[in-house]
Amino acid sequence: MGFFQRLLNLDRRWLYLLVGIIAIIGLKAPLKLPIKVTEEVQALYDRVESLEPGDVILVSFDYGPSTAPENDPMADVLIRHALTRDLRVVALALYPIGGAAEGIEELRRCVGEDLNPSEGVLASSVFEGKSYGVDYIYLGYKDGGLATMRQMNDRLHETFPADYFGTPITDYPLGRDVTGYGDVAFCFSVATGIIGEWWANLVNAQYGLPVAVGCTAVSAPKYFAYYKAGQMFSLLGGLKGAAEYEGLVRSNYDRIEELTNADVYNASKASVIQAFVYSLITFFIILGNIGFLLERRRQRNL
Amino acid sequence: MLKKQIPILLCFLAGLLPILSFFFSTPPGATGEAEGFLKFANDELEQWLIIVAAFALLLGVVSVFQVNLRKLSRREKGWMNSLWLLLSLVITAMWGLLDALDQLPAFAGIRIFGVTGETGFDWIFLNAFQPLQATMFSLLAFYVASAAFRAFRVRNLEAGLLLLAALIVMLGVNPLVAGNIPFISKLSIWIMNIPNSAAQRGIIIGAALGAASMTLRILLGIERSWLGLQKGE
Repeated sequence: MGFFQRLLNLDRRWLYLLVGIIAIIGLKAPLKLPIKVTEEVQALYDRVESLEPGDVILVSFDYGPSTAPENDPMADVLIRHALTRDLRVVALALYPIGGAAEGIEELRRCVGEDLNPSEGVLASSVFEGKSYGVDYIYLGYKDGGLATMRQMNDRLHETFPADYFGTPITDYPLGRDVTGYGDVAFCFSVATGIIGEWWANLVNAQYGLPVAVGCTAVSAPKYFAYYKAGQMFSLLGGLKGAAEYEGLVRSNYDRIEELTNADVYNASKASVIQAFVYSLITFFIILGNIGFLLERRRQRNL
Repeated sequence: MLKKQIPILLCFLAGLLPILSFFFSTPPGATGEAEGFLKFANDELEQWLIIVAAFALLLGVVSVFQVNLRKLSRREKGWMNSLWLLLSLVITAMWGLLDALDQLPAFAGIRIFGVTGETGFDWIFLNAFQPLQATMFSLLAFYVASAAFRAFRVRNLEAGLLLLAALIVMLGVNPLVAGNIPFISKLSIWIMNIPNSAAQRGIIIGAALGAASMTLRILLGIERSWLGLQKGE
């Protein structure tokens, strides 16, 4: 049995072990990879920079724990960028399998783990002077998908009468100020699956709200069609997109650089792991095909 | 009559209202007298739809119970998994309901492990559901690597083109490579922006046309399988 034939018959557990080792090396490697910022990511940064203090952005948590490693860093960096720029953030969740819990987890990571409006803890321990209900609010989850999005256009208070913690949203200044899409500068959907598409093909197309989507890498090819058609002004595709945006914000804001460095996990760290594993998979594909072609030629010659 | 015509008529009206409202209702933000009947009816329907969607979740839970209880009672292969599924569902739902009831003074203070500000439902989500889902998804890295090695082969021209495009895109998004070979990055962006977007548009437009024609068939009563009727009934 030749080298390549033996290689092709290699027990898959050896491959699993190799992937595990490479991922750990990527995790521990003190590397900072050069990441070129693409136009679709630059557009989100520029849009946030162009807004005036006090403008409102909508952040929709349209993903669950399964894709959190890709989606979490996008949400973190956008919320931090927005609050640093004195924008106000209205967050909500439309994904049924864990979207609500992801939303509150990320909001707490950004503004302070001690956030607990139910027990009167409203002030952010991370962003001085920022407070729940004034600078950011979390509306929680609402079922209904497209119908919910349509209703939010001009009846946000009917769609979300109370926030995640059960308090009427009109009890808060930010809740009172936002009654529909007309009061919002843009929506950023952190998405897995189809919900990000709905923001583009329903909310942007029918109500004209500018939409940006941060999606998983596997969904990115589909979302490119909406981005190229102008139905989204920005697209963050997977960890690469998140790392590009994170890099842009970190290089311009020392406070966010400090906060992101303190994170156990962020897009820059994850992109190193991903780069290592991608390299290994690429190597596997090339090696597997060389073996396949050589083996086919050998069999033809028999 | 009751079994066919009335549901079809209701379906027709419920489908027609949003379409008419989209084309003929008053401008966004109009209120008072300007707010026409169409918008009012459409808004009401949207509210109903959100409520019906919530009931669809309940229907899903009932279906999961039926399928898995049947498996359990017949001791079919994998019945143990069904048992775990049902137990997890009941325990998680129970904590969710208790948390909801926690809003009432009589149930205030229901907490587990004494974690301040964290409900039992949160605890289950953070300590069981989240790590399990993350683990399931993380396993993909291992399976993809193995599948790439074993199955992604140049068996014919189409497979070869697919492989080439995949390799270029993978190398283009890999900062270890793209940082050193800018041409790969440019080529990767071109593949995503031009051929990929064109193909995706075709798929999206095709699916939308299919959905529109199916909607018309249902609204006009041509397609009746949703009523549970057999062909010809």
